Amino acid sequence: MALPPVLLVVAFVGLPILIGFTFSFGFTSGPNRVVSLIGQQIHTKDHWWGTFAAYRDVIHDARFAGDLILTLVVTAISTSLVLVMSLGIGVYQRMVGGRIATIMSTLTLVPLFVPVVISSWAIHTFYSGDGFMRTVFHHVGINFPTLTSTTSAIVIGTIWTSLPFAILMVTSGFQSIPDALIETAQDAGAGFFRIVRTVLIPLALTPIIIAATFTAIGILGSFTIPYFLGPNQPTMLGVEISNFFGSYNRPQQSIVMAFIVFMAASGIAVAYIWANVRSAKQSGRI
Amino acid sequence: MFKNKFVKALVAAASIALALGTTVPSSHAANTTIQVYLSADTNIQDLWVKTLVPAFKTQFPGYDVNVTFDLHGDHDAQETAKITAAAVLHKNPGVDLIDGGFVTTLGAAGLLYRPTAGLLPNIKDVNKAVLTAGKGGIPYRGSSVLLAYNSKNVQNPPKTLDDLLAWIKANPGKFTYNAPNGGGSGYAFVQTVVDKYLSDADRTTLVQTASPDLQAKWAQGLETLRQLNKYTYGLNGTYPANNAETLKDLATGLVDMGSVWSDQFASAIKAGTMPSYIKVTQISNPSFTGGASYLGIPNSSQNKVGARLLANWVLSPVAQNLIVGGTLNGFPVIPLSKLDPVITAAFTGVDIQHLRAGYLSANANDLKSKWASIVPGK
Repeated sequence: MALPPVLLVVAFVGLPILIGFTFSFGFTSGPNRVVSLIGQQIHTKDHWWGTFAAYRDVIHDARFAGDLILTLVVTAISTSLVLVMSLGIGVYQRMVGGRIATIMSTLTLVPLFVPVVISSWAIHTFYSGDGFMRTVFHHVGINFPTLTSTTSAIVIGTIWTSLPFAILMVTSGFQSIPDALIETAQDAGAGFFRIVRTVLIPLALTPIIIAATFTAIGILGSFTIPYFLGPNQPTMLGVEISNFFGSYNRPQQSIVMAFIVFMAASGIAVAYIWANVRSAKQSGRI
Repeated sequence: MFKNKFVKALVAAASIALALGTTVPSSHAANTTIQVYLSADTNIQDLWVKTLVPAFKTQFPGYDVNVTFDLHGDHDAQETAKITAAAVLHKNPGVDLIDGGFVTTLGAAGLLYRPTAGLLPNIKDVNKAVLTAGKGGIPYRGSSVLLAYNSKNVQNPPKTLDDLLAWIKANPGKFTYNAPNGGGSGYAFVQTVVDKYLSDADRTTLVQTASPDLQAKWAQGLETLRQLNKYTYGLNGTYPANNAETLKDLATGLVDMGSVWSDQFASAIKAGTMPSYIKVTQISNPSFTGGASYLGIPNSSQNKVGARLLANWVLSPVAQNLIVGGTLNGFPVIPLSKLDPVITAAFTGVDIQHLRAGYLSANANDLKSKWASIVPGK
C-alpha cells in the first residue's frame, strides 16, 4: 500500500532533488545540459566529484550573509511569538473556558481561510506610507513609522499566517489532558502557573514541539510574505532564490542556496522526529 | 521477496517516467490553432486577449488563437530553457508566437525563424535598424520609459539626468523607482544612471554583446544610485517591488516623481486610476531607455504558417491602429503616414523611431544583480 506514494515521491521529487544536487556541484551534462546552456555564471566540475565553485560564489556574495541572518532571525522571532500566543490561547481555553474562549479560538482560525497573497497585500497597505495606521496616528499628532518594506512587516505577516495551525495543535493537545489531573493538582494546592508549568506543558509537549517545527519550517521557506512586505535587500532566502533563478539567471547559485535552506530545515526536522519518537515511547508503540 | 518487489517497482517507475517523456501528444489541431506565449504585464495581456485576438479572428475565422500569459516574465528563464530544449531534441515547444523580452535572446541563439519580406510582406514598412536589432525577432510595437511628475507640486520638471539627480537630492522622499528586477521602468532608471558614466561605444557594446569586462565601469553609476538611498521615497533605501507600485505611489501622492512606462501610464490616465495632473516628460543626456517589443516564431514551432499570418497581420495598419489607439497606447512600428491621423495626433514631436535601447539580457541580468548587492539598504 505504501509503495505507490513512495515511488511517486522518488520519481517526481527525489530524482529532481538528486539532479539539482549534482548540478550544484558542477555536473553540467546529461539532465543538466539545457539549464547549463541558458544560465549565466555556470561552473563545470574540475574533479571527479565536482567543484565547490558555486558554493564559493554564494558564500562570498555580500548579499548571502545578510539574507541568511535575516531568514534565521525572522524564523526564530516569529516562531517564538507564535508559540507564546498559541500557548496563551490554549491555556486560557483549557483553564478558564466559556463563551469568550470559544469565540477567541474560533476567530484565530480566520487567517486559515484568507489566501496568503491577499493578506500580505492587505498588511502592505495597512502599514504603508498612506496606510490606516499612519493616517490614524497622524490625526492625534503621532508619526507612526512606515512598517511596509521592513523586517517587522515580515514578522507580522508570518505570525498572521502561522498562528491558526499552531493554535489548533496546541489547544487540541491541552484538551486531551484529563480534568482529573488538573483537579488533583489544584487539590494539592498548586497555583495557576504551577499547573501550567508542571502539568499542562509537559503533558502537551509533543503537540507543542510539532507545532513549533511546522511553524519554523513554513516560515523558513516562505516567499509571498517577504516578497510583498520585506525590504529589497536583505531579503529572506525564499525570495533571494527566486531572484537568482529568474532575474539574475543564475540557476546554479540558486540551487546552492536552496540546499542551505534545506539543511537548516533538516536541523528543525530533527526536533520533530525526536518529539514523535517520544510520544511513540510514551504510548508504548516502541 | 522484498528485494524482488522493489526491483519490479523500480522498473515500473522507470518505464512510467519514460512513457511520460515520450508520449506527450503533439497538437493535432496545430494547423488551425496558433499558440501565443506572452511574457509581460497585464496591459499586454489585455492588448492580446481583448483587442488583437478578437480582431484577428474576425478577419481569419478559420484560425483559433490560444494565449498563455506569464505575469512580469517570471518564467522567462524556464520558457527559454523549454524552447532551447525543444530545438535540441526536435520536439514541439508548444509555442508558435512569443511576445516577451527573451525573444531577442532566442534570436541571438539562432532559435528563431528569420523574418523576410517574402514571408512577411508587411515587414517592408518597419524601420530597418529596429528589425536588425531584433536578431530574428519581429518588432511590432514600441514603448519608452518616461519621467512622471505631479504638476501640482512640480512646475518645472527636470530636463536632463543631471537636473533630475539634483532635484531628487533637493526634494528628499519625493522620488522613487522600482527595484530593477521587479519591472522595466525602475530598470530603465538604473541603466540610465549607469550609462551616464559610459562612453557611447561602451553603451553600444553592452546593448549588443555579453561583456562582463565592461561591467566594472558600472561602479560609478551604482555608487551614485547608492547615495540616492537617503533621498528616495522612504529615505532608507527601500524601493517599490514593481511597475504598478510606482504608479500607485504617484497616484496617491506619496511621491511627486517617478520613472514609468509610457504605455502603462497612458492606460492608467485613460482608466482614471492616475489623476490628470500627473504628467510625463522625457529627460535627455542620456534619455531613459525604450525600444521595440519583439515577436518571435521559434524554429521548432509546429504551426509556422499560422504564426506568420498572425505576425504579418499585427504589422498591418489595421492592427497598428489598435495598438496605438486601444487601451495600450503603444508606439507603432510602421510610419505614422499609414495610420489614422486622429489616433496618432498624440505623437506629434515625439521621436518614436529612435529610442535608446536597453542592454542585452545577459548584461541586464548582471546589472540587476549588482544593483541588488550594492544599492538597496546600504
